[in-house]
Amino acid sequence: MSNSTTFASGTVLVLVGTKRGLFLLSSRDRTRWEVNATGLSGSRVFYATLDQRSGHRMFAADNGDFFGSFLRYSDDFGQTWLEPEQGIQFPEESNLKLANIWTVEPGRANEPGTLYAGVDPATLWVSNDNGVHWSLNESLATHPTRDLWGPGAGGLCLHTIIVDPTNDQRMWVGISAVGCMRTDDGGQSWTFLNKNVRASFLPDIYPEFGQCLHRMIQHPTQPNVLYQQNHCGIYKSINAGDDWIDIQHNLPSEFGFPITLDPHNPDTVFVIVENPARNNISEQFNVYRTKDGGELWEALNEGLPAGPGVRLGVLRHGMCSDMLDPCGVYVGTNTGQVFASADRGDSWHLIADFLPSVYSVKAFVIE
Amino acid sequence: MDVSADTPRALVILPHVLRARVGNRSSVSAYGHTVREIIAALDRDFPGLGFNLCYETGELRPYVNIFVDREDSRYHQGLDTPVRDGATIHILQSVAGG
Repeated sequence: MSNSTTFASGTVLVLVGTKRGLFLLSSRDRTRWEVNATGLSGSRVFYATLDQRSGHRMFAADNGDFFGSFLRYSDDFGQTWLEPEQGIQFPEESNLKLANIWTVEPGRANEPGTLYAGVDPATLWVSNDNGVHWSLNESLATHPTRDLWGPGAGGLCLHTIIVDPTNDQRMWVGISAVGCMRTDDGGQSWTFLNKNVRASFLPDIYPEFGQCLHRMIQHPTQPNVLYQQNHCGIYKSINAGDDWIDIQHNLPSEFGFPITLDPHNPDTVFVIVENPARNNISEQFNVYRTKDGGELWEALNEGLPAGPGVRLGVLRHGMCSDMLDPCGVYVGTNTGQVFASADRGDSWHLIADFLPSVYSVKAFVIE
Repeated sequence: MDVSADTPRALVILPHVLRARVGNRSSVSAYGHTVREIIAALDRDFPGLGFNLCYETGELRPYVNIFVDREDSRYHQGLDTPVRDGATIHILQSVAGG
């Protein structure tokens, strides 16, 4: 990109975090796409987001192989990156050490400058100055059950943060392999919300915590409705996570990582379930969609690859939707492809290939 | 740390990826009696460099190697490895690959 790179209002911009850097895919019409590298090129970018509440500040969970993890930010669409003045670093006396940064999410519209980040070891971090200084949420870090928390295959990671837009005291976090937790007092205390969610790998398959939540999302207009893709099933909650309903139904597997929805038809949910080897179940790579909140699922594959050599995996942050109507859906694979649909998943196109292994996709419409 | 007249001065040679942290230089000088003190001095002079080398606990990152006069400090006294005046310290990342 040139030094003057910017994007016109209305451009769809997909941030693609990979095993080796961050890439930007952009399009004015969701048909022709341009692929650009950014200034982050050598590290593992687990997740990236764009905060448009006051400008266009980009954040990236930049995990180095050798010299540490940093939640960097950019004000020039990723060409140059800054490091926080007070980054995510545990107090020495905590005996905790940062392994990876997993996610970063802007706060509510009425709290500009506030962002939340999740890391391994599972803790929540808060910034109130646009990511320049970060502080630890102490109550989660010192939760009385913490010594009993165990990691998933990706570590003991807090990978999902949902800030309730309608309740400034409420938010949810997803932790592997702990499960769902919620605060109703602005982060002063945290409660487990894993009722009816299986943990089939434990002797007690319905524990209070210990579930391997892979990804969780919130209904955009009904804030008490949540969906989660778990290691052991796909679930819906209609009461803010107090309990969960199994909605796997006719899906061919309970196992998968990503989940997203259509913001204009929020009973329309997308998942990608996998076989135990963590790739497509048959020789056809499918995205699965329900239009009725999980009663019936259909396989979507027009334009998606098939064949004996097709072995695609999609990680927890590897699928997202945009805010247009009909919504676009984006899927990044662990073999470096990004597929996009501009018609709610009915048909798909390859919009990027030969990327490093994709860790995350996140779509924005430039304001 | 106070730097007294008898505090050893070392030349610290940095890997390419860390040079932006020190003004794009390949080497800098630092004072300290041990590797630990050298790292502390580097972090004072170039804030954040210490976190590149060590976890918050003070433990050296697993793929960071610090050689004092061509000897790997891990096989001596780790972060307590003494540093002589005029020492050359190489900071290197591991060959972590094929």
